[in-house]
Amino acid sequence: MLAYTAKRLLTLIPTLLAASALVFLFVHLIPGDPASILLGDTATAEEVAQLTREMGLDQPLWVQYFVWLGNVLQGDLGTSVFFKTPVLSVIAAGAETSILLACMTMVWIVLIGVPIGVLSATMHGKWVDQVTSGGAMLAASIPTFWLGLYLIFIFSVGLGWFPSSGFPSLSDDGGLANLRYLVLPSLTLAAPNAALIIRLVRASMLDVAREDHVRTARAKGLHPANVAIKHVFRNALIAVAAAFGFTFAALISEAVVTETVFSLPGIGRLVVQSILRRDYPVIQGVILVIVVLYMVINLLVDLAYARLDPRVSLK
Amino acid sequence: MALLEVENLHIAVSVGGVLQPVVRGISFTVDDNETLGIVGESGCGKSMTSLAIMGLLEGTPVRITDGSIRYDGTELLQLSSKQRRAIMGNRMAMIFQEPMTSLNPVYRIGDQIIESLRQHKSISKKAARARAIELLDLVRIPNPSERVDSFPHQMSGGQRQRVMIAMALSCDPKLLIADEPTTALDVTVQKEVLELMSDLQERTGTAIIIISHDLGVIAETCDKVSVMYRGKIVEAGTTENLFERLAHPYTRGLLNSIPVVDHDVEWLEAIPGRVPTLGEELSGCAFHPRCPIATGLCIAKTPGDTYIAGNHAVKCHYADQVAS
Amino acid sequence: MSVLKLMPSALAGRKLATIGFLWLVLVLLAAVFAGVIAPFDPLELDPVNRLAEPGWPHLFGTDHFGRDTFSRALYGARMTVIIGVGSVVVALLSGGLIGMLSAYFTKLGHFLMRGVDVLMAFPALLMALVLITLLERSVANTIIVIGIVYATTTARILYGMTLKLKNEVFVDAAVCSGASHRSILFRHILPNLISPLLVQASFIFAFAQLQAAALDFLGLGLPPEVPSWGNMLSEERIYLTRAPWLLLYPGLLIILSVFSMNLVGDALRDNIDPRFKDDISGV
Ligand SMILES: Nc1ncnc2c1ncn2[C@@H]1O[C@H](COP(=O)(O)OP(=O)(O)OP(=O)(O)O)[C@@H](O)[C@H]1O
Ligand SMILES: [Mg+2]
Repeated sequence: MLAYTAKRLLTLIPTLLAASALVFLFVHLIPGDPASILLGDTATAEEVAQLTREMGLDQPLWVQYFVWLGNVLQGDLGTSVFFKTPVLSVIAAGAETSILLACMTMVWIVLIGVPIGVLSATMHGKWVDQVTSGGAMLAASIPTFWLGLYLIFIFSVGLGWFPSSGFPSLSDDGGLANLRYLVLPSLTLAAPNAALIIRLVRASMLDVAREDHVRTARAKGLHPANVAIKHVFRNALIAVAAAFGFTFAALISEAVVTETVFSLPGIGRLVVQSILRRDYPVIQGVILVIVVLYMVINLLVDLAYARLDPRVSLK
Repeated sequence: MALLEVENLHIAVSVGGVLQPVVRGISFTVDDNETLGIVGESGCGKSMTSLAIMGLLEGTPVRITDGSIRYDGTELLQLSSKQRRAIMGNRMAMIFQEPMTSLNPVYRIGDQIIESLRQHKSISKKAARARAIELLDLVRIPNPSERVDSFPHQMSGGQRQRVMIAMALSCDPKLLIADEPTTALDVTVQKEVLELMSDLQERTGTAIIIISHDLGVIAETCDKVSVMYRGKIVEAGTTENLFERLAHPYTRGLLNSIPVVDHDVEWLEAIPGRVPTLGEELSGCAFHPRCPIATGLCIAKTPGDTYIAGNHAVKCHYADQVAS
Repeated sequence: MSVLKLMPSALAGRKLATIGFLWLVLVLLAAVFAGVIAPFDPLELDPVNRLAEPGWPHLFGTDHFGRDTFSRALYGARMTVIIGVGSVVVALLSGGLIGMLSAYFTKLGHFLMRGVDVLMAFPALLMALVLITLLERSVANTIIVIGIVYATTTARILYGMTLKLKNEVFVDAAVCSGASHRSILFRHILPNLISPLLVQASFIFAFAQLQAAALDFLGLGLPPEVPSWGNMLSEERIYLTRAPWLLLYPGLLIILSVFSMNLVGDALRDNIDPRFKDDISGV
């Protein structure tokens, strides 16, 4: 297991380096002088000259990359043009919202996706299955912002059950009750993903159900529900768990739209606002953080995969 | 009354809503301590028959359309699913054709045996584990107290099939159905597995049905033989009687090129042609298109049973000639 | 098998998918004849008739500039088709070519596919946002961005399928008979990939609509004056409480079109060559 983890970590490094190089190059692809781009329109000629020296912008590109990478590894992602504060702290400010939103969304995805997927698979071909798998495909076809807007319209404006926008930190007044601000956003974000999980659970279970070992399980005289859960679902879980991981990893960036609809102070909205504000250091920083997070979560998924499937760890 | 009595069993598979007959009225019995061999080419309906006896056709497009299956005097086809599950894996167990894939890859083999044990017997986890190790020892898995914690992928095909046997025997079934238990194994392993089954039968008195397409395997291990062709039993009898005077051209073909005295026909190495496809209706004897001695009579009339010696029954118009 | 023959056999016996297909045909007709059918100029302002309720003569009502929503929706169909087809073409041409060449020329392939792996480290929407930052808002750029995002998955899928085909007998036969690389790739391998490509195309088309609408909504997609369903939603969203129907029509149009395309894609996939069943699992 340890060796496997080490091996997977090693294979991650080149990809990570290449991805970080792309993120680094991003600023250089924008037309104009990188130092002025990073400092924004209001910078003085002196400031530009200073940053040019600091970042070694007069050096060859690859030297600049390693200087930048060195800074990044020390936690220095540059300074926000808009906030005039370190990019890392700007990102950290959005982290609570984004992480809570992602976790709550994940809870919905599991709670909605798995039982309906299992139901759909066990009722394969019957009307229940047709309705649920058709409904899942329909749900996956709805633009998230549209769903979010109508959820606000119905449940905030109409019924007044949930707040329509913003998210005060859990450490503010209200404490845990502030989570109610995330109910509608997390449901919005969960809908298309839960739909995909339903379809995946169903498809994987139907695949496993055809395997020979399921017949063996039935031949033991096990109750069909027992066969469905202990043998079919347990084996289908190998593929489904991987999808949970990928979904979770993608949630932070998918939340861009949802956070905008509900005006949540998360990392997703930060990306959009920074793009509109041309706050390039923040854009660069956020992309880097999301990409690294995305890759790390995917690695964890791989490792979890090895735990779920005994055949993998020994290979 | 025999332990298992199958009578006039008809099985059909529904293809696009149309029922295509696969098994067309077969009957046989198996008694305690007896081994019945069912032999026939691929696709003749052997696996379906065994799944029908076990009660594993539920949820497949395959239906039993007629006939009866009695176990210990009880009509199985009239039992509820729950009652059938109480017998399945308990009084009656099955070993499958595909040892490589018949075990669940994510559970340790010990746990899979324990699951079977605890399904039917009220027995503690600890006692079940001890029993699982005992069973692995019984099927001659070396080092059973360690191997009990192996995963299926850590074992060879022969070992997996033994685990399957151990699992099948876990609740001391009175009937064991082995559907081509050795087809997927190489020759030496085949022999070991078959010997193991005979030994176990001597100890426990279990009735066994061995399904195979290898007459050699059957001849070595079985007391009685039924030869199936296209969903019908075309020749049946005790192993002794049957092999003394093979009386159906198909059986002869299966046994490969036994030269026939007093007859002009040279039996071919393998039977020419293939098993006709499902749904293709044939008049008369279903074997006539491939039979080297077929005549107009074979096309016109379906042969009934001809008895050669004792209960050695043959469905061939020319059984007496073939046998002599 | 020609593309035209694939459709009827995929749709046979699938009612919902057939309805979906017909809806898509309707969208296509609306796109082509928008200029003829539309009762009003989609850009014409009519401040007196702001936020009119659906009725006559404004079937879907009017927006906050008093523009006719029905006419804008018809022109929006045009954008839907342009964005969808454009993204599919970009994704399949670039991704498909990379995938096929990578599988065929293994050395080059190793290099190219590593690049694809790196790009796949960027979540789809994030990659679209990064690219958009570098480009101006325009129809062409939206197409390019979405096309590139799905080019990566297409490359992966086509890579796997070409590898499989490459080892098949008919390709060996072509190699032995001295066929050129180009002829093997495009005469022997490509025709076998047509039906999986079609499946892939239908899913990309569906996803492209959602991505384009999301970009429009964020103010990073099509220029605001272009009448697209996404822009209609984006512009009118603050009037949701005053005129809830304004968001209903464009939203339902997007949902129906994406749903239809998914249904058609599913039908095509179920009908596909069993060799590729495992490779295509949607985007
Ligand atoms: N689900 C199904 N749908 C359609 N036809 C089926 C189905 N299952 C089995 N059949 C057909 O039923 C016939 C009998 O199958 P069966 O598995 O009993 O054969 P078999 O004698 O066990 O052959 P083998 O030696 O290959 O195991 C075959 O012709 C097979 O093609
Ligand atoms: Mg069989």
